[in-house]
Amino acid sequence: MDADERLLLRPGPERPAVSVRWDRDRLVTARRGDTVSLALLDQGILETSRSAKYRRPRGPYCLQGDCGTCLVRIDGLPNRRACLTAVREGIRVEPQNRLISGPDPTVLIDTMMRSGMDHHHFMVRPRVVNQIMQGVARNLTGFGTLPDREPEHPARHEIHRPDVLVVGAGPAGRAAWSVLSAAGLDVLWLDRRDRGGLGTEAGPPPEALLPHTGVFGVYPQEQLWAAMSDVPEQAEVLRSIFPRQVLLATGARDPIIPLPNNDRPGVVAARGLLRQLERSGARLRADDVVVIGEGEHAASLAEDLGTEAVAPERVDRIEGNPVEALRLRDGRRSCRLVALAAPPAPAYELARQAGASVAWESGGFAVQRDDDGRCVREPWPVWVAGDMTGYLGERRAAMDGERVARALLRNHPPASPSSPSSRP
Amino acid sequence: MMGKGRAQAMGSRRAELPSRVDIAIIGGGIMGLSTAYHLSRISSLKVAVLERSYLVSGASGRNGGGLRMQWGDEGNVALMMESIEMCRGLAQELGINLWFRQGGYLFLARTEAGESRLTRNAELHHRLGAPTRLLSGAEALEIVPQLDVSDVRLAAFNPEDGVVFPWPFVWGYAGQAVSRGVTVRTHTAVDRIEGLADGLRLHLSTGERLDADRVLNATGAWSIELNRSLGIELPNHPHRHEIMSSEPLKPFLDPLVVDLATGLYFSQSTRGEIVAGITMPDEGPPATEVDLASSRRFLAHLGRALTTIMPLTAQLRVLRQWSGPYDVSPDGDAIVGPSPGLPRLYQVCGFTGHGFMMAPAVGKLLARLLAKGERHPMLERWDPARFSRGGSTRREDMIIG
Amino acid sequence: MPRRSFVCRCEDVTLLELDHAIELGLSEVEELKRYTGLGTGPCQGKECMSVLVSHLVRRGLVDPTTVQPFTARPPTEPVTLGALAAGLPAEPES
Ligand SMILES: Cc1cc2nc3c(=O)[nH]c(=O)nc-3n(C[C@H](O)[C@H](O)[C@H](O)COP(=O)(O)OP(=O)(O)OC[C@H]3O[C@@H](n4cnc5c(N)ncnc54)[C@H](O)[C@@H]3O)c2cc1C
Ligand code: FES
Repeated sequence: MDADERLLLRPGPERPAVSVRWDRDRLVTARRGDTVSLALLDQGILETSRSAKYRRPRGPYCLQGDCGTCLVRIDGLPNRRACLTAVREGIRVEPQNRLISGPDPTVLIDTMMRSGMDHHHFMVRPRVVNQIMQGVARNLTGFGTLPDREPEHPARHEIHRPDVLVVGAGPAGRAAWSVLSAAGLDVLWLDRRDRGGLGTEAGPPPEALLPHTGVFGVYPQEQLWAAMSDVPEQAEVLRSIFPRQVLLATGARDPIIPLPNNDRPGVVAARGLLRQLERSGARLRADDVVVIGEGEHAASLAEDLGTEAVAPERVDRIEGNPVEALRLRDGRRSCRLVALAAPPAPAYELARQAGASVAWESGGFAVQRDDDGRCVREPWPVWVAGDMTGYLGERRAAMDGERVARALLRNHPPASPSSPSSRP
Repeated sequence: MMGKGRAQAMGSRRAELPSRVDIAIIGGGIMGLSTAYHLSRISSLKVAVLERSYLVSGASGRNGGGLRMQWGDEGNVALMMESIEMCRGLAQELGINLWFRQGGYLFLARTEAGESRLTRNAELHHRLGAPTRLLSGAEALEIVPQLDVSDVRLAAFNPEDGVVFPWPFVWGYAGQAVSRGVTVRTHTAVDRIEGLADGLRLHLSTGERLDADRVLNATGAWSIELNRSLGIELPNHPHRHEIMSSEPLKPFLDPLVVDLATGLYFSQSTRGEIVAGITMPDEGPPATEVDLASSRRFLAHLGRALTTIMPLTAQLRVLRQWSGPYDVSPDGDAIVGPSPGLPRLYQVCGFTGHGFMMAPAVGKLLARLLAKGERHPMLERWDPARFSRGGSTRREDMIIG
Repeated sequence: MPRRSFVCRCEDVTLLELDHAIELGLSEVEELKRYTGLGTGPCQGKECMSVLVSHLVRRGLVDPTTVQPFTARPPTEPVTLGALAAGLPAEPES
């Protein structure tokens, strides 16, 4: 592919090239620091799977690990998130659910069920037809296929008993961690991403951060927070965390906007796209991308992406596969990416598992807390900061993280330097 | 469009209640709704179903959807042969996709005790006409190539067992019952039951009242509470049973597999998810209340058992975990029939971990009892009065989970 | 390809299908989830929950001051069966 057909502009110093094998035989040149999603997007490879019911082409959307539509097969393992996986030399990436044995009824399925498919009442009678339909349906759904092999190294288990567990290394989590660790507390700080929210330009992530580590569940009856570290090419580590206190800073997600054809490859979340670009030190041409969204939030994202924002009401539909244009009520705007900028919705799930209450506030469920930032008292105090309490944006989220961490210290001053027995 | 069925109202919180019915059914789970549906087919009795929450909120919306005739007791085998026969055409009868797939149940025995259970059961199944086959480990591998069968001593396979998707099953019964005149009212709990000279009066959470000639307690694991409030002491108890599903995968697994040694069971849904549960060791004393929490402990036991029997699953991911209430009966048999001391109140509870698969047949036989006084042979052993007579014996040794 | 407006991309649930379920008398978040399949795919509702509730609020079907999301079940981040298996036998008392 020609350099100028590529989606990304790469000002600044050239980063080392990394080759990625896509779909068995296509070699794609990426740059170190790119995620698999960004590397493919750069090459105009936007379709990475087919959808479950209508078999419509799909590619990454949120670009930050939440939506699950970027799932691909990576190095022989199914359903890996391309948007959170950094490229490494020789990495093998394969699309999923694209090829099926026999004729592909894709177009037929999507076209036939023009008005939507009621899967409960579809082809129920007669019985023979029903049986055939069930057989076909079974083959069409499902994403990956079984792994190629058993793991090389068995997973390990580690137990942690920190003074404070800090979840999230975005602005709020980073600010909170600085305050807590400076106060001499034994802090276990983790993030599901490889560098937290840091761009690759920002130098190495703080050593204290446990990256690639997602908290997957809170189990109040077991007084346990459970996480898994999934560092590429290493054995997985299950982490059983028995914290004294917890500070959550899990951020917010970018909801889709229900517009016609909002599933086309090339429709992405504006915030996720921006973060990916920042991480890789890349830019887009103004012509190639357009933002859909309202108000200041959309306007500022559009500005950061170097383009304009269009209000959802003006959009008639998205065109092309992958995206070619926005059909507006009053015209047409050609583009290669459509970036959605709905108001971010707080990531409340872990807090809610821990027992916090949530309330519907301007487009999302915000975690409710007291003035100090505490949302749960038993069996451990849980504090929440940043976007998960209602979207704040980076600067205010950082301030909130710092404020809540200070409140935590005020309420539970560290016992003279943290006792060694509280360490794992 | 070809074969396109019509969606039907399945009852709602706005459904209008009559002031008196012949039969009031408490609980809109599979038992209550299957019974309501069969009553509407064979009688003109006025029936209302009251469900506290939404329709698949109880055990019927939380189970693994497994159906098998491979039981250890003659009565259960015969009942399940009938239930599975009914399920064959049930999607068409109810007008909704049930995703009933007969991929079989594959039981694996890794101990001598398990081996002799399977051998004895296969003889029984043979006698009753159920097509169970005994297999070696190597033969089991032909059915599920990813298994580690190194210490499997014997396997049993019945190709007519299978799985369904539980939710539409419940909606299908509800939709058909509603279209035949049954009132299905959701989001309405029965708070209290009062005896009348000619029936029972139900006091509802909405402030309404409903009088009925007879009442069916179909509240599953919650039946204990309701019975206790009426002074009816039955020995069933709620038990939290956890379950999980994996990320969706292309089809690779046809049967539901049961590892007798650990109580692990797993199958693959139409959507491609591995749905799996296990018998938990050291569960402590019987619970007195329904608890629907999830535990990491469960995931660890399940992960260990599943990756041992099918090592390729080690790098597969869990999509979600949840739990549901088993309604455990001490002798393993259900509790069905008029209540001791309150004959206008019928019970249909105590189905432990297998009420879903039995519901098609149970709804039918219970409707025949209620509408016509017909007594199916199983009603004798399911009699709620058996415990006070001291006459309960445990016959069934194939209860999983 | 016909035009479709998706609410849930994992399970291919469109706005039209959601409205169809509402017409059947369903209105609660938990029951709409189960009937349409919304939120039961790989994202487990992370992406579609707020879209669903925004729609219900807009249509006046739920009270925004009391509406609650469907249960946020673990795992919220990926965990493998192999890693979970490593959690045995070391069952730490807390
Ligand atoms: C995790 C799990 C896996 C299982 N796997 C299988 C399987 O593979 N195969 C199988 O056959 N079975 C299985 N079972 C068992 C099966 O699900 C149950 O036996 C069956 O669903 C019981 O149905 P029910 O209608 O009696 O109870 P439920 O479905 O629990 O219905 C009772 C209803 O009553 C309502 N209710 C309670 N109190 C009141 C009140 N006061 N007023 C009004 N309504 C009230 C509840 O809200 C509930 O909806 C499993 C169970 C669990 C929990
Ligand atoms: S999870 Fe990767 S794009 Fe959303």
